[in-house]
Amino acid sequence: MKSVFGRSSFVVGILFSAALSLVAQQKPVVLRGGKLLTVSHGIIEHGVLVMENGKITAVGAEGSAAVPRNARVIDVKNMTIYPGLIDSETNLGLTEISAEDMTNDLVELSEEIMPHMHVYDAFHAESELIPVTRLNGITNAIVAPESKDTLPGQDSFVQLAGKSANEMLLIRDIAMPLNFTGDQRRNQSREKRKYPSTRMGMAAQLRQAFLDAQDYQQHWAEYEKKKSEAAAKTDDKEKKPPSQPKRDLKLEALLPYLAGQKPIILAAEEASDLESAVNLAREFNLKFVLNHVSHSQPVLDYVAQLKVPVIVGPIYETPKPFERFDAVYSLPAQLNKRGVKIAFASFDAHNARNLPYQAGFATAFGLPYDDALKAITLNAAEIWGVADKLGSLDVGKTANVVVATGDPLDVKTDVKQVFIDGQEIPMTSRQTRLRDQYWGQ
Amino acid sequence: MMNRVPIYVIVLAAGLSVFATAQAGTTHNEVVIKNAVVMTVTHGSISNGSVYIKDGKIAAVGKNVSAPAGATVVDAGGKYLTPGLIDSHSHIALDDDVNEATSPITPQMMMIDAFDYQDKAIYRVLAGGVTTSLLLHGSANMIGGQAVVIKHKYGLNRDAMLFPGAPQSIKFASGENPKRVYGSRDQLPSTRMGNFEIQREALVAAQDYMREWDDYKAKVKRGEKDATPPKRDLKLDALSDVLRGKLLVQIHCYRADELLTEMAMAKEFGYKLRAFHHALEAYKVADQLAANGIGIATFSDWWGYKQEAWDAIPWNAVMCMRKGVRVAIKSDSDDFARRLNQEAGKTMRYGGATEDEALRMITLNAAWIIGVDDRVGSIDVGKDADLVIWDGYPLSSSAVPNKVFIDGDVYFDRSLPGFGMPHYREGE
Repeated sequence: MKSVFGRSSFVVGILFSAALSLVAQQKPVVLRGGKLLTVSHGIIEHGVLVMENGKITAVGAEGSAAVPRNARVIDVKNMTIYPGLIDSETNLGLTEISAEDMTNDLVELSEEIMPHMHVYDAFHAESELIPVTRLNGITNAIVAPESKDTLPGQDSFVQLAGKSANEMLLIRDIAMPLNFTGDQRRNQSREKRKYPSTRMGMAAQLRQAFLDAQDYQQHWAEYEKKKSEAAAKTDDKEKKPPSQPKRDLKLEALLPYLAGQKPIILAAEEASDLESAVNLAREFNLKFVLNHVSHSQPVLDYVAQLKVPVIVGPIYETPKPFERFDAVYSLPAQLNKRGVKIAFASFDAHNARNLPYQAGFATAFGLPYDDALKAITLNAAEIWGVADKLGSLDVGKTANVVVATGDPLDVKTDVKQVFIDGQEIPMTSRQTRLRDQYWGQ
Repeated sequence: MMNRVPIYVIVLAAGLSVFATAQAGTTHNEVVIKNAVVMTVTHGSISNGSVYIKDGKIAAVGKNVSAPAGATVVDAGGKYLTPGLIDSHSHIALDDDVNEATSPITPQMMMIDAFDYQDKAIYRVLAGGVTTSLLLHGSANMIGGQAVVIKHKYGLNRDAMLFPGAPQSIKFASGENPKRVYGSRDQLPSTRMGNFEIQREALVAAQDYMREWDDYKAKVKRGEKDATPPKRDLKLDALSDVLRGKLLVQIHCYRADELLTEMAMAKEFGYKLRAFHHALEAYKVADQLAANGIGIATFSDWWGYKQEAWDAIPWNAVMCMRKGVRVAIKSDSDDFARRLNQEAGKTMRYGGATEDEALRMITLNAAWIIGVDDRVGSIDVGKDADLVIWDGYPLSSSAVPNKVFIDGDVYFDRSLPGFGMPHYREGE
């Protein structure tokens, strides 16, 4: 298909870093004539979409929306336009080459309870993986530490373009994973075995951590009370404030979660782990979103009755020997059918670009197409509390918009242009540069 | 949907009954698959086409085929029909016995000795439309071992799953894996220099061994009574087979410089290379691969998992194909083996492979790499009736095999309850 987005027309200024020097969108951009997958209000066949100052300012049928006078109008006839995709769990920015230790900051393995680890402290804005990912239309992602600790640290919500890490890290410490899949046991070998080497140990250690945090909170509450009492005294002698308790970053990090201000991302795969993990979360009144549930098919009604969203899969997780070949492939459809809000995640970094294909594959096992698309756009935005800004083509939302040759969920579809904050992202990466260097040689 | 069955029940049941009795794979019924979009791979697609199967072989293909009245008719309902997919690089059904990583040269290892024919991965991959796989030794050793070619007739016994008459392949490796495995033990090799030195030394030893045998045979021929045979050495036997061109040499190799070194070494010792596996930098030297008639079995878009995969680009497959290299997309993974069709579909996007070209990468080209392209890999008269009826367009994200035929018999049927396998019932 001949398109305005030919390979050469967008190779302007070769970029050597992921962190783009984004300047505020200069001029309104109008995408005219494309098929708009709005996600929130259906499909507009011959649509027009206007982006101004980094926001979507008009969405509608061609002719229905006013085109600003100074706008740059791009003909996107025969193209499909959809909101930037959201990957609900990645390790982007924490890894470069998996086997090269010095390029990895995935998880702090020295202890199991590490809520005071913040991925924003390690997020590498210049990672070569970021342009590779956004070139396939993924504009936003959760960055999580690897799941080898029970509490490996706190996630950040990022935008995959920006001048620097500061700009890309949209929401720091947005949530905290609590991993209860068994992989967090320190039982790798008989020689290296240490506490917690069982799920019992993991649970006991977690409980103790949350109890310690409650205790810590209590100390501080008492201190604050005494301090204000002292301040209220009129007698100067009695005004002397109490001595301040020592700060403990680890316990402090748990407080917003104990207070239910932020969600725990509760990861379990098998039904038994899932129930144990949910019980633990309830013991401390934690607000939670479920993660994986890959082998929990026997308890999906129970999952539905919890009335929490599920980050499902990955659906490529291998079934257990006793499970049918499609036990995990069909999980998104099974959850969706029960009214559970689902989102997909790549749970990866290098292959995060393939996020939409997982949604596409799930449709082959009964997930309705619209729900599949939602699970990588609007559902994700809702789960992460950013639906006012992201996840659909609606007026007022951030102009994270993708122009592609067809169905976003299909492997054959080529993404021609990505806009982030209304900016045309150069469609280049380390990989396109290698391609261009050797193509036709 | 699935009830949880305790694992010991399965093992017990499998051991006692299923694998002992199921030998149903040798039916010689005549079958006609009609009303399909037949994607032949070699001569385009036939809409509303039919395939007539007799004695497990494809007997006719076309808009209309004449078949005897007694033939079983399978109405594909307008769905797509492709050849069974072929995975030219798999490590399933080997129960972690993939690497004899105790010495960097182990050509005498026979993967068939480790072949776990009851591994459910064979079934899961079958359910992804794969009918033939090359089970290879891993890449810890410079010269690993000799492969097995299987057909995915899950439920049958071990020997019934082997691809009859398939040529023997041997796995070589290079690069990071051997040097990491042995280097971490302070052993040779710990560098690429060491890697290739070890390989060269092994091949020199094989040349000496062959000479000793040739001398002995010459003496016997001359009637010398005191001629004593040299001691048989399995390792050198295997390497002699390499030098005599009796084995298909499959080399795990990433970097462009190493592709060239392996080609030079093959030239130096006079053996032929069949295919480079992974070959993520093949696009840099594709013309030289093409000139030497060496194929590649590669990933569609995997990259960055190690240093030597850092220059991987998803256009590799098509760039090499355009230079005349025979390209296969392979799995090297229990997971990806279940959706090779999607991986092949990506080549249509990255570089613009045509439908036929994309499909060929997971059928006929893969068959060529294994050396069974005269038997499988396309829908042509005389070939084995290994066929897949798909729900959905096969080169897309949303296709699933509906039925999988091997040698004309259905081994997977999505519409069946339980595992969907006519030749396997769990717990019976």
